[in-house]
Amino acid sequence: MRVRARYAKDGRLRFISAIDLGRVWERALRKAELPIAYSEGFTPHPKVSFPDALALGYASTGEYVELTFAAPVDVASAVARFNAASPPGLRILEAVEVVDGAPRIARWLRASLWELRYPTQHAGVLDGGVRALAHAEHLPVDRERKGTSTRLDLKPALHMIASHEDAVRVILHHTEPPFRPTEVHQSLCTTGGLTALEQPRLVIRVAQGSAEPSGLCEALTGQPLPVRPHDHTAATS
Amino acid sequence: MPQIHASNSVWPRLEPLLADVRKPARYVGGEDNIVVKDHASTDARWLLIYPDAYEIGQPNQGIQILYEILNERARTVAERAFAPWPDMEQLMREHDIPLFSLENHLPLRSFDAVGFSLAAEVGYTNLLNCLDLGGLALRAEDRADDDPLVIIGGHAAFNPEPLAPFVDVAVAGDGEEFVLELDALIADARTRGTWSRSALLAQVAEIDGAYVPAFYAPRYTADGRLAGTFPRRSGVPYRVPKRTVSDLDRWPYPRKQLVPLTETVHERYAVEIFRGCTRGCRFCQAGMITRPVRERSKDTVKAMVAEGVANTGLSEVGLLSLSSADHSEILGLCGELADTYEGTATSLSLPSTRVDAFNVELADELTRNGRRTGLTFAPEAGTERMRRVINKMVTEADMLRTAETAFANGWRHIKLYFMIGLPTERDEDVLGIAELGLKVLAIGREYGRKNKVTVSVGGFVPKPHTPFQWCAQDRPEELQRKLGLIKARVASDRNLNLRYHDPEPGLMEGLLARGDRRVADVVEAAFRSGARFDGWDEHYDHDRWLRACEQAGVDVDWFCHRERGEDEVMAWDHIDSGLERDWLWSDLRDAVREKPLDDCRWIPCYDCGVCPGLDLAHQTNHDGAPRRTHLPLYAGQS
Ligand code: SF4
Repeated sequence: MRVRARYAKDGRLRFISAIDLGRVWERALRKAELPIAYSEGFTPHPKVSFPDALALGYASTGEYVELTFAAPVDVASAVARFNAASPPGLRILEAVEVVDGAPRIARWLRASLWELRYPTQHAGVLDGGVRALAHAEHLPVDRERKGTSTRLDLKPALHMIASHEDAVRVILHHTEPPFRPTEVHQSLCTTGGLTALEQPRLVIRVAQGSAEPSGLCEALTGQPLPVRPHDHTAATS
Repeated sequence: MPQIHASNSVWPRLEPLLADVRKPARYVGGEDNIVVKDHASTDARWLLIYPDAYEIGQPNQGIQILYEILNERARTVAERAFAPWPDMEQLMREHDIPLFSLENHLPLRSFDAVGFSLAAEVGYTNLLNCLDLGGLALRAEDRADDDPLVIIGGHAAFNPEPLAPFVDVAVAGDGEEFVLELDALIADARTRGTWSRSALLAQVAEIDGAYVPAFYAPRYTADGRLAGTFPRRSGVPYRVPKRTVSDLDRWPYPRKQLVPLTETVHERYAVEIFRGCTRGCRFCQAGMITRPVRERSKDTVKAMVAEGVANTGLSEVGLLSLSSADHSEILGLCGELADTYEGTATSLSLPSTRVDAFNVELADELTRNGRRTGLTFAPEAGTERMRRVINKMVTEADMLRTAETAFANGWRHIKLYFMIGLPTERDEDVLGIAELGLKVLAIGREYGRKNKVTVSVGGFVPKPHTPFQWCAQDRPEELQRKLGLIKARVASDRNLNLRYHDPEPGLMEGLLARGDRRVADVVEAAFRSGARFDGWDEHYDHDRWLRACEQAGVDVDWFCHRERGEDEVMAWDHIDSGLERDWLWSDLRDAVREKPLDDCRWIPCYDCGVCPGLDLAHQTNHDGAPRRTHLPLYAGQS
């Protein structure tokens, strides 16, 4: 039986790597005594797959996982048991059973809605920066890698951007190479003209899904999430 | 009195720095089974520190056990801290962040007692760094009367002298009962509102096993030898006994083992199946200082494993002890656990390096369906003569027969542990290591072209409370030369993998192990010149340590490379491990005469001194079956 879930990684768990997170998942599943299926062989691995990895340090309410169980489970009670067994900072938000042969969820993860929370003293200036980004034709950002710096254009990846109080919310297409919220921040400092803007105190991936004219269509439930949180009451936690 | 405010938490200042350090998960806590209490509703607050990196210290059994039994007391809180990696230390110093706990992220100074677990000497400079980062003066005499108590325990506490000026209390032996007795004193002082370190220490000194270095002073003879370490006040014992927990079944910990969020050196639910070892290996400090043998019953172990796995979700179970195959019910225990977990993803491991077919049988049992990759054996020395000296009674025939059984049963890789620099060692003994490795490899080849042998060689460091405490340690140059002999002999064979360590850190380990109170100045000088993480090759700087010795006026040669006389006073003579000094000396005489000694579990007591002193005897054989029916101790040996 296959189950697909959207989960949150936040709190202290923000500071563990994707590899560590995989182990935390395994243990929580074992501790919850859920009948997860294992691969064959000398060193069996639980059948838990993660379509993508969240960079260390970011919080998220929009991570996804696919689980294969060796026996049928009641999804709601499995979620409750998992959440009771998992350490603080890891919890399943939603889960659905998937029919056999359904394509992997990775296919539906085409964009992310990010929220960059800034120190409150910057709240007043964010809107100006956001407007500049929305109207610019190109958003040149520099990316350092192995000592060399490459200039990339963030603009084609930027679907929508808005500010709300101390937060900037942005929908980024999953492009190759992918862009990160740090590059949105960089753009706000340069093109956005906010030269004195400090680093965001917290970056949250709100959800993943597909980019729609109205915002983001969440991958698991199809729920629409507008880029402006006050447009929709259930947008963020 | 140490102040308490939840608002003291360093977290808000720490969090922004975590993006800039390696492995930030080391500093966040948040593990499964963590205990986070509100300090306002407690009377005694402990900070337990393992002075090494999180990934080394987190799995430490001592910390884990004390953490649980202290936190089980409603009005006591125990939190943990580890040594920050140098990148984090630098940021902490820049931002004025003190050493903090992982539970509430509170500064060291908000605790009443700071307890260090010292498994080995290499943690000493990290210990000083933790005190310094915590805002305490390094030397106890320079601290304020309202500062917390600093306590050390663990094997290294059997010679506390090189740390004596820095600590308030040292305790040798098992910590379970001791911490609870100390906790009661602390809680009492706190509830009465009369916290005074000096007043408290006078009371602490009355606890059985508590050594308060400030109440003792060493005296030296004109030629620089130690004349003795003597009490400076009345009412404290001349010799401080170690603590021994007699019934391990009454202390079934860990129950709710902390599960790390990030990778550590051991990710397993670990249960000690017994403490102590009486095999009598003469080089082995752990075996000597943990006597007598105290087993956990099979039923207790099984219950602990079931509960431990359920509480942690860990997939590996380690059945720990100094020589796990020696448990009197081991075959039944392994068989029953293997039955329980057969077909599940839970795997069992048994650290045992015993060289015999029985060990292979156990390893087979624990890997019924699993992968048989590496098996480890510890013959420790290359020739039978050398093995008689160190009392590791394995014949060459045993070794080869055991290897044959292992390869025949499908094991592909055999690892062999050896030491060089042993007392009375000759070049032929050293070469014997290479020869034995090659012979084992030749057997392996018969069972598979790709079968491998790893020969791992360490330099011997004489340790306190062992028959070899009188012996000279080999110089690093001499160890290098001996390694060269082995290298030259095995160089040509690709399937024989030789592993060894740089001998220089072993010299400092030897100095800290057998040093007296004068060596404390070396530790401090090394720390002040930047020594940290001395157990890590990338951080150990030998020249820095040699300079520290020079600065402190300590002659390493004299401490390490000199053979000591029968009557020489040792820096640890006032710490009573239970072993009679006369027995240790006679065992050394036997060693030199190449005379082995059997295990007192299966021959009559030979009066090493431990049992009568403790009013204890071996506690083994819970099922009442006749002793040792399943296998002779040394196959092929009388
Ligand atoms: S006192 Fe006797 S029985 Fe006890 S550990 Fe020593 S030799 Fe063995």
